[in-house]
Amino acid sequence: MIEAFTDVNHSFWGMLNQGPLTLTLFLHTVIILPMIWLYFKEKKRLQKGE
Amino acid sequence: MAQNHSVWTSIRFWRQSAAWVTGFAVVLLILLTFDTMGQITMGTDADLQKGITKRVPAPTVINYHIGYKFSEKRGHEVPVIGKKEPFFGKEWSPKEAAALLHKGKLTEQAKNCMDCHTLLGNGAYYAPDLTKAWIDPKWKSMMAMTGKKTREEAMAEFLQHPERYPTHARRMPNLKITPDEAKALVAFLKHMSSIDTNGFPRGFSKGVKEFEAGGTYAH
Amino acid sequence: MLTSIKNHNLQYETQKLGMMYFRVAIILFGAQLLMGLIAAIQFMYPSFLYGIFDFSVARMVHINALVVWMLYAMIGSVYYMIPDETGLEAVGIKLGKLAFWVLTLAITIVVLVFIFIQIGPGDDSTIWLINEGREYLEAPRWADYGIVVVVLIFYYNVFFTFLKGRRTGVMTVMVANLLALAGLYLAGMFFTDNISVDQYWWWWVIHLWVEATWEVFVGTLAAYALIKIIGAKREIVEMWLWIEVLMLFGSGILGLGHHYFWIGTPEYWWEIGALFSALEPVPLVAMFVHVLYDWGKEQGAHGEKPAIKNGPAMAWIVTNAFGNFLGAGIWGFFHTLPQVNIYTHGTQFTAAHGHLAFFGAYATILIGMMYLGIQGAYGIDRMKATFKSKMAIFLITFGVLGMAVALTIAGYEQVLVERAELGGGWDAFFTAQNLVWMKQAMGWRTVMGVVTFIGFIYLVWDLLTIGKEESENNQ
Repeated sequence: MIEAFTDVNHSFWGMLNQGPLTLTLFLHTVIILPMIWLYFKEKKRLQKGE
Repeated sequence: MAQNHSVWTSIRFWRQSAAWVTGFAVVLLILLTFDTMGQITMGTDADLQKGITKRVPAPTVINYHIGYKFSEKRGHEVPVIGKKEPFFGKEWSPKEAAALLHKGKLTEQAKNCMDCHTLLGNGAYYAPDLTKAWIDPKWKSMMAMTGKKTREEAMAEFLQHPERYPTHARRMPNLKITPDEAKALVAFLKHMSSIDTNGFPRGFSKGVKEFEAGGTYAH
Repeated sequence: MLTSIKNHNLQYETQKLGMMYFRVAIILFGAQLLMGLIAAIQFMYPSFLYGIFDFSVARMVHINALVVWMLYAMIGSVYYMIPDETGLEAVGIKLGKLAFWVLTLAITIVVLVFIFIQIGPGDDSTIWLINEGREYLEAPRWADYGIVVVVLIFYYNVFFTFLKGRRTGVMTVMVANLLALAGLYLAGMFFTDNISVDQYWWWWVIHLWVEATWEVFVGTLAAYALIKIIGAKREIVEMWLWIEVLMLFGSGILGLGHHYFWIGTPEYWWEIGALFSALEPVPLVAMFVHVLYDWGKEQGAHGEKPAIKNGPAMAWIVTNAFGNFLGAGIWGFFHTLPQVNIYTHGTQFTAAHGHLAFFGAYATILIGMMYLGIQGAYGIDRMKATFKSKMAIFLITFGVLGMAVALTIAGYEQVLVERAELGGGWDAFFTAQNLVWMKQAMGWRTVMGVVTFIGFIYLVWDLLTIGKEESENNQ
């Protein structure tokens, strides 16, 4: 795409790697982001009180 | 729990997060595994003939010269599969080569190589790493010691009678390796040296020139 | 000798079965140390037992005894905690006892074959009957299937007792994690000609055990033990446990990538392996903080009178919290980045990390669990550390730390001379091995191994006697 591919084979995961740490930061973000949603869901539940 | 209004101390929040993170990490690992398996499956003899680079080439790679050179594009050393060369005096058909490699891998496990040596860097640290053992310059002097004309014959001779050719106080023991097993092991080692290991080991055996010139560590 | 430990005060057969597993574990721990000493001596004097009991044999039994004693102590710990957590006897206790004897018999045969037959011809018969030749998973294939059957019986006991009894958070994590732990063993049970594919799956077992499921197991044990020893509040402990699971699996599962840098796998593993595994120490810090925080808090709450119900177990669990962080966390992080790892991969550096991590993360807490077992077996209300307990923990910890430091120095030397300066290979390897610094380091490693072994003797002596002594003191 933007960065020239250097590895032996082209692959989807290799494509996500568009410079230092981009692939791994992307994966970390995808893993962490839904926790924000879980956080607010739980907050609402607690405020309603049980 | 009536006064607990902080999400940070809510067991439910942490349990849900743990389930999500674990589950998603497992899914990612499985997807990555599919992609990697596709890339590290052995190539075919046709790939070799057409010059298609595979991370793990076909067993018939034993019919070719194998080098290890720095690649500008990759930024590290890569195996270079060169011209055809005889292996134990002949060219091996895809079937023969596959059978030989199969026996070699079985022998490697049966003789427990991995509890002294490392293979692809994994194993024990009592003896040299075998990842690129095929292209080790040491076999040149071993050819002289064993009186054999080719590298593969010298390796096979050494593997059968390592106690006869000691190079250091730490010697390889005799593992009752038969001539057929030795041949197969050499094929296994040659095949392993053709695997693209992303540049490991770096600068393989670059110190040899220094030894030959009588440098600091020459002995 | 080990029968001198009495079980009179244990109400449940399940806990008595746990104690049987502990007895075998401690014997195998001793075997591990003896084999390690032989291998250490061979590093210094290569002709020692050459051709009779070669390094490869000593090393194979060394690491297999390690894995097996830990699995025994883990199974023992689970059987010990089942009645406490669920309030029930295990559903299939008779089958569980049978499985214990079957497993012990199988392990004995495997070890005897390792020691006396060692290797075989290069065909399938060796893989099936003698030795699979894959580091840590050397057990021949017949034993693999035997282990699967025994583990199924064990898991049946854990799972169905859990369903029938009280379902605590601690036990929920235990049940889920054990399923993953047991299932992963299957990834190591096949043969392939492709060494890259071989090592890819091999790491699924090794890494996803020791850097994911075993770590969660330790977190679960620590939670159980803290409730038991210092009466920590269950809600707090369980909250921490879920945080630990989140962070351990979040970093550990994809941290697997740090084993895929150089085995033929694609370059994208560099990035994945680097950052995920770099975060692996974070949960270990959290576990450390958690243990110390609970300890301090419960201590203060009771004023002058110490609230610790089991001195030696608590000491080992605090050592675990610190050792896990130091050995697995710090020593692991040292060489986890690919930029460093291309030089350190497959050197004594790995050995240093391996020694400190297995000890710090696993040996410590499992020994702590054995002390908990002794306390229960003798029905002691408050068990204090004896002189022998203190000697054991001091000598073993000091010894292993000393070995790790010596191996780290050896590793540095090997990395710089063999790898960086000379680029690896036959001559480069031996040049580094023969330098005086390497030899000194290997000498110190052996000395520290002997220190560890003396500590082990104190440990066994203490485990055999502390129950009787302390129950008399308490009367």
